[in-house]
Amino acid sequence: MIRLHQITRRYEETIAVNGLSLEIEKGQICVLIGRSGCGKTTTLRMINRLIEPTSGRIFIDGRDTASIDAEKLRLSIGYAIQSVGLFPHMTVFDNIAVVPQLLHWEKKRIARRVEELLELVGLKPAEYARKYPSKLSGGEAQRIGVARALAADPPIMLMDEPFGAVDPLTRERLQAQFIHIQQEVKKTILLVTHDLDEAIRLSDRIAIMESGRLVQYDSPEVMLSRPRNKFVRDFVGADRALKRLSRIGIKNFIKPAATVNVNRPVKQVIASAGSYRWLWVVDDNQRLIGWVDRSTLAQSASIKEAMDEGDTGEISLSDSATLREALSRMLGLGFKCIPVIDDGQRLVGEVALGDIEAATTEEEDRQ
Amino acid sequence: MRRMISPDRVALTGTILGLSALLLSWLILKPNRLAVGTSLNLWESLGGGAAVAIVLLWLVCLVLSLGEVKRSHGIAVGVSANLILILTFILVGLASNRLLQGEAAIARVSLGTGFWVTLAGAYTVIFAARRHLDDRRTWRKLVSWSGLSVFAILLSIGWLNKVSVMEEFSGYQQRFVQELLQHIRLFGISGAIGTVIGIPMGIWATRNKYAEKPVFFITSMVQTIPSLALFGLLIALLSALSFAFPVLRDIGIRGVGVAPAIIALTIYSLLPIVRNTYVGIRKVDPAAIDAGLGMGMSRWQVFRRVEVPLAAPLVLEGVRTAFVQAVGLTTVAALIGAGGLGWFVFRGIGQAAPDLIILGAIPVIILAVLVDGIMRTAVRLGTPKGLGVENR
Repeated sequence: MIRLHQITRRYEETIAVNGLSLEIEKGQICVLIGRSGCGKTTTLRMINRLIEPTSGRIFIDGRDTASIDAEKLRLSIGYAIQSVGLFPHMTVFDNIAVVPQLLHWEKKRIARRVEELLELVGLKPAEYARKYPSKLSGGEAQRIGVARALAADPPIMLMDEPFGAVDPLTRERLQAQFIHIQQEVKKTILLVTHDLDEAIRLSDRIAIMESGRLVQYDSPEVMLSRPRNKFVRDFVGADRALKRLSRIGIKNFIKPAATVNVNRPVKQVIASAGSYRWLWVVDDNQRLIGWVDRSTLAQSASIKEAMDEGDTGEISLSDSATLREALSRMLGLGFKCIPVIDDGQRLVGEVALGDIEAATTEEEDRQ
Repeated sequence: MRRMISPDRVALTGTILGLSALLLSWLILKPNRLAVGTSLNLWESLGGGAAVAIVLLWLVCLVLSLGEVKRSHGIAVGVSANLILILTFILVGLASNRLLQGEAAIARVSLGTGFWVTLAGAYTVIFAARRHLDDRRTWRKLVSWSGLSVFAILLSIGWLNKVSVMEEFSGYQQRFVQELLQHIRLFGISGAIGTVIGIPMGIWATRNKYAEKPVFFITSMVQTIPSLALFGLLIALLSALSFAFPVLRDIGIRGVGVAPAIIALTIYSLLPIVRNTYVGIRKVDPAAIDAGLGMGMSRWQVFRRVEVPLAAPLVLEGVRTAFVQAVGLTTVAALIGAGGLGWFVFRGIGQAAPDLIILGAIPVIILAVLVDGIMRTAVRLGTPKGLGVENR
């Protein structure tokens, strides 16, 4: 889809990008990462020709971008930046409508598209369309920025730290939403960041750059388990085993859990509980409501009396969580295993600490 | 425990001005327009009752401006100051009629320092009051304009005709209209030319790093030349030119008169316009420009649709400054034969007739206030929604 061939960009004395070649497949997210000044933003800006390469060629779908009119090229590429750059004198509607208007879409089509996009990024059109940017929170502005970049449904998106200017909590929410949106729109995305966790979370492939050169270009899993050299090893950090866990979903690690209905008589439970020390307590709809220690069960009249009630959001994980989240939750709660619930709060099983350990050592062995 | 009181300093200054005016001479009865005459104090001029009323109103201002500042104080102080003004205007009209009874036809009643200092004090207080009324638009308008409106009404019904300034006016009525229009023409034309030249110059300075320094060097340096000196320079330059090229003389360009006046006034109006245009465009968020270009706008589209609307408020603010400044500077243009309200000022100085000076000076002030008001409205209208405070 996008192919960079031996791209170099020189500025008088310095070389910002040095002989960089890179290929991004259709529908994938490639994250360019590196310290500030490593040339990642310059690389991004050369793709839509905001900066012209000193030498080398860039192909999009096999066409040399130098042969395409720069403005036409940019109209076909979504562009979102860290500082968002919403136009303060235009409403949210007009901001999103910029590119469709430049492409002379019909009014009705633009209105429909803006509404669609606002819903896609999770903002109510009726509430937000007429607002001015000065009335938006940082997170809202960034979402409008992404919606604006998607406006004309470009096959390619260039994003320069699109979640950079918000607090960590909002950033995580925006990233989750971004993953969700990408599953729907399937764009080819080149995203620049300096945040390794963001890169690991969002990317299909990571390109690490150092002083204008590409150091390693691999999937996050490979990058973390087999860093090519000392620079990459240092960059991904000593805790790369932990980071790798955030690439592995818990789905394959869910095991059946010992559960007990809150209304069952205590005697029956003791008889049938087997060797489990802990039991998850569910209600009639299989919804998790707490847990119970078998040793206290014997002295209690009912399960309700014996059980520890907990905020189910606190003590359980969603089935779309990663092993890293599972591990962190276990350490936080002091549990050796943690229950997993689905969208309807129903208990689907549990993940055990031992299995996570096994998963990491397995990876180590393969190296 | 002692309570800390923070007085409203501006209102207090105005009040002290107003109170001190009570001791000065209010009206001057002269046997003729050039004679020295006898000064009359407040109670001799306006009568005891009026004097007591004015003193009481000033005391209200004093007490309120010493206390804690509240919005209701803003209204009370502002209304008091306006009442003082209205009372003064009405009574000055009455008193001048009374004082002239039984005097010779050439006798005059002039306004004394007490009157002028009262005006200054009252408007200082009104200025202070306005600051507390930002969110009460009706009161703000009322406090700002009611004194002036009453003054305009009194003028138009001839209430103040016996005051010496108005006697001067009736003598020069035709001339006054003519010079007023000439004044408006002079600052209007030069302000317009300054705008037409200044805005492109400002834009050019943002686009060309070699243009930036010389543009600001020249416009700022010109600003430091005293207006009289600049007029003098232009007289020399233009007479030399029109001597060399007689064709210039045929189209009305000579050393003295309208041509050098308009040129000088235009040059003065450049700095605020060029500077504000430059700053306005430079201040546009680079991210907005980057986003515009990155999305596929052409350089011209970015300029037209992003930079121009975002810079507009500051540019218009510069135009406003230029026009208001030009209203005042135009007064000096009378010295080189260009006419305008300055004609009365310099004639008054020449004849040692202070009332004639005032006949020229007061309309200049009123004109400046009016132009300022009109241009402020223009700035508000030119500010895109989403940038202004109105966007709530």
